[in-house]
Amino acid sequence: MLAIDVKDLRKQFSVQKNREGLSGALKDLFKREYNEVTAVKDISFQIPQGEICGYIGENGAGKSTTIKMLTGILVPTSGELKVNGYVPFKDREKFVNGIGVVFGQRSQLWWDIGVIESFQLLRKVYRVSEADFRKRLNELVERLQLGDLLNRPVRKLSLGQRMRCELVASLLHNPSILFLDEPTIGLDIVVKTEIRDFLLQMNKEQGTTILLTTHDLQDIEALC
Amino acid sequence: MRYASLFWEYIKNYAKTRLTYRADFWIEVLSDLLFQGMNLIFILIVFQHTPSLGGWSEAEVVFVYGFFMIPYGVFSTFFSIWNFSERYIVKGEMDRVLTRPAHSLYQVLLENVDPPSLIGSFVGAIIMVLCWTQLGLPFEVWDLLILLLLILGAVLIYAGLYTALSAISFYSDAPTGIVPLMYNIQNYGRYPVNIYNKMIRFVLTWLLPFAFVGVIPASYFLEKKTDDLSQLALFTPVMGIIVFSLGLWLWNHGVKRYRGAGS
Repeated sequence: MLAIDVKDLRKQFSVQKNREGLSGALKDLFKREYNEVTAVKDISFQIPQGEICGYIGENGAGKSTTIKMLTGILVPTSGELKVNGYVPFKDREKFVNGIGVVFGQRSQLWWDIGVIESFQLLRKVYRVSEADFRKRLNELVERLQLGDLLNRPVRKLSLGQRMRCELVASLLHNPSILFLDEPTIGLDIVVKTEIRDFLLQMNKEQGTTILLTTHDLQDIEALC
Repeated sequence: MRYASLFWEYIKNYAKTRLTYRADFWIEVLSDLLFQGMNLIFILIVFQHTPSLGGWSEAEVVFVYGFFMIPYGVFSTFFSIWNFSERYIVKGEMDRVLTRPAHSLYQVLLENVDPPSLIGSFVGAIIMVLCWTQLGLPFEVWDLLILLLLILGAVLIYAGLYTALSAISFYSDAPTGIVPLMYNIQNYGRYPVNIYNKMIRFVLTWLLPFAFVGVIPASYFLEKKTDDLSQLALFTPVMGIIVFSLGLWLWNHGVKRYRGAGS
């Protein structure tokens, strides 16, 4: 079965044109002009279950926009997409139960409270039973060596520590597809390797489908 | 049921975060009360210059204000989404909300609950009781039920209007000017609407139905006036359901237009 099936997917934004200078700004105030910008232009691809796929491209190529459409955050302008058997933006609440999402540039966790509190809250949001949660958390904590971080507030974690916590947060409900948007951005070589190994192992053992965007070709070499 | 348990979880987290900043908590309570107190003093000053306002006595207007504080406190507790546009749209935090399996509005509300505002509701209730006895109004158990129903309706009206207002951010880039404007307009609903001209009265009753949050439902318990507002009082819950449904519809429709932010 296909985990992700995308056909002629397109996303356009209408972006406001800003005219130059103060007089331009004044003109904009009364009459605005818009440009249609095509962020993602008719792409098609298919990813079978259990694959690890890398999605590369220059800055502004539309990688994040694609990921956001695949995860149900954005509604595509046209085209067809099916992820995990759902059309993401239509049955959003049911669909997101089966996916995990990590945005490298943005945190999923609550800033001021201990990491474990965030996990507990996510457990409730995703309706994971206490027993399953414990088991899964123990595995992940051991695998990613988070033991002594769990009670620290997120704002006191280093980037590498936070990133590992983000990974755990996105995996607590045991999703069958994991989306990673630049997961290794800004990380040192040790943490990068650790995360790659972890993803590989998870893919092998649980058959989790992984789609990641990155600028680091070593990520691609190691994973895909 | 699940949403109720989620609610409890978020409240616990709120407590954990906020109680670590104890001073901040009390300052917020105090500033809330001071703000309400100022409004009350304004009413008292007006009545030092005139014995009645459009046929309403001082105690009656204060009674209306007391009533208004109850739904307003409940509303402020659950709908403190003043910074929605800034935080969720401009900074793109809506991304995170949309990747979780619960209704997006519900998540946004829970992430911003503000329980200290409830204290205003208690103060409002006390003001109402004091005026009730001062005015010598009759009291029956039945009234309490009606009161609850009217409060619920009033909260729904507020909730619907501000949900709609927040949802505008999905359609337009920065609706910064509208919230303070609304905030000013809503204050008119606490005073007897018959003191305004026809136009404003129409707007406050049917377009931005803030009159249904204060003066109209409160008049149900007061002596009948010549142009009888209390006839409309029992429409408050109906109005609440209509306004909230509209707000929710606008939100659900708006979420589909969400564009995300940057990277």
